[in-house]
Amino acid sequence: MNILEVDKLTKRYGSEVAVSNLSFSLEEGTSTALIGPNGAGKTTTLSILAGLLKQTSGTADWKNHSGIGFLPQHPQLFPWLTALEFLEMAARLSGIAAREARSRSIETLQFVGLGSALNKKTGTFSGGMKQRLGLAQAIVHRPKLLLLDEPVSALDPTGRREIMNLLKSLQHDTTILYSTHILNDAEEMTDQVLFLRRGQLVEQGSLEEVKARYAEPNIRIRFQDVRSAAHFVEQHNWNARVEGTSVLLPLGEAGPRMEEVLSVLSKDATAVSGIERQQATLEEIFLKVAGAE
Amino acid sequence: MDQTTLVLLLLPIIAIQLGLMIFTLVDLVKNPNPNGPKWLWAILIVFVNILGPILYLVIGRRNY
Amino acid sequence: MTQFNVLLKKEWRENFRNYKVFWIPIVFILFGIIEPVTNYFMPQILDSVGNLPDGAVIEIPPPEPEEILVAVMGQYQLIGILVLVLAYMGSVAGERKNGTATLLYVRPLSYRSYFLSKWILASAVGMLSVWSGLLAAYYYTFLLFERVDFTKFLKFGATYSLWILLIVSLVLLMSAVLPNAGLAAAGSLLLIFVFQLIDGLLGTYWTVSPLKIPGYAAQWLLDGPKPEDFWWTAGIGILLIFAMILAGIRSSKANASKTKV
Repeated sequence: MNILEVDKLTKRYGSEVAVSNLSFSLEEGTSTALIGPNGAGKTTTLSILAGLLKQTSGTADWKNHSGIGFLPQHPQLFPWLTALEFLEMAARLSGIAAREARSRSIETLQFVGLGSALNKKTGTFSGGMKQRLGLAQAIVHRPKLLLLDEPVSALDPTGRREIMNLLKSLQHDTTILYSTHILNDAEEMTDQVLFLRRGQLVEQGSLEEVKARYAEPNIRIRFQDVRSAAHFVEQHNWNARVEGTSVLLPLGEAGPRMEEVLSVLSKDATAVSGIERQQATLEEIFLKVAGAE
Repeated sequence: MDQTTLVLLLLPIIAIQLGLMIFTLVDLVKNPNPNGPKWLWAILIVFVNILGPILYLVIGRRNY
Repeated sequence: MTQFNVLLKKEWRENFRNYKVFWIPIVFILFGIIEPVTNYFMPQILDSVGNLPDGAVIEIPPPEPEEILVAVMGQYQLIGILVLVLAYMGSVAGERKNGTATLLYVRPLSYRSYFLSKWILASAVGMLSVWSGLLAAYYYTFLLFERVDFTKFLKFGATYSLWILLIVSLVLLMSAVLPNAGLAAAGSLLLIFVFQLIDGLLGTYWTVSPLKIPGYAAQWLLDGPKPEDFWWTAGIGILLIFAMILAGIRSSKANASKTKV
């Protein structure tokens, strides 16, 4: 079931188009990465979905209006409030009754690893702690849909790892839409990817789909040593490239068919230590998509 | 009028001004991130009567 | 109602922990004391400062105690208003500008509770300041000069309180309308002083205007304003406060999308 349907969403500032004709949907319980360079319209998109901005045209329909949690890229907290006071306020403003708000706030702070900083003023918090409290306020009312704007990009590697693990533990109970430009993170926690460039959706689909679409028809053949690799390339006029002890070989239009290669290799199988299909990484796909005019 | 009455009259004024100044200075020292250089605020607070501390509290303090 | 209570608690914590609850009244008290004391020492001050020839005697009649209270109000008209404007200029605009409002606005927020909670706290601090300051002035005037009729004083204070509530409402409205705290302060001060100037120059042509509230407050200390003029003026003042609160609620909501994300 789709929890969110976005149709032809457009946001203009005067003559400048921030987001143009965006259409996608989020299936319940899945995670979607919104990928794009800075200025692609990721924050604008998330702000509209969070109800902070009004779109110029198009619709964004979600099943459960109150059930949204939003984490801005740099969550700004009231420095004179303690973590617990802040989170309790957030929970109560989201409609949770007083007593439950308190117990749930404590629970959530422990979940995000701030259990020992309950009564510390947020003005004294480090960037990582602020991000954790930001995440806590986004999930304290147990929303169905979680919108996260660059949830880990401001953190150091350790902090990034920890927050990613927290997000992964929420992954299946909550529908998550998050923006990122760090593609390793996206690859880790994604059912669907949306590539955004200059406000337009240039590619979308499940991670497998997109990868398959951009998968290079390449194979990598590993040889026992450099000499056999070089020998293989010399023997055939196949546009192959030596990379150390392995050979990168384009198939299809640019090269031979797979069966041809296999039959050639089977004649001297002892020199070969492995054959694998090249998987395109999101990073490569992204560069391709972003580079295409 | 004798000296004691004079002192008694002026005492609250001096006490409030001094109190405001000391309170603001302590706050400035503890402030991790004031809006502007600390030494400049210190000078303003000590030498610009009343207005120095007020300006620090509304502009310089940044509500930490 | 729940949201209102929650937000009121937040505003209280902000005003308490940023010491606004303490230092703003203290500034008002300070100016309330300074005025009678300097008046008391005026002969000595003039004597020591003025380079008069030896033997010259200055005869200044001691001021009426009512004049001193009016002079205190004059101080508040400048410094008091400036302090209140500076202290509350960022109430809404500052939260939007620094992005703290974002985490409130993403929730199903009641903007009525949001704006009213700010108005109540700012007004309470304004009232605390005016009354503690005026009472200090009253007490010192009593000690150093003569006693002012307390009923007259209460009428004076109550009328001036209405003026301060107008100022507080205006600052909060400007803060909700304008994009940042500095502009909100500039806008408020400009409006206050321009309108006062107009009323000062042309005010003789009318008797009912919210800008005459401080003037009528002062008149309570003497024979009192003409009841009809006073009550119409006060009524319009109260209506204006309501109107500014409503406009403030509306602009807080309308400008919510300008919060920094």
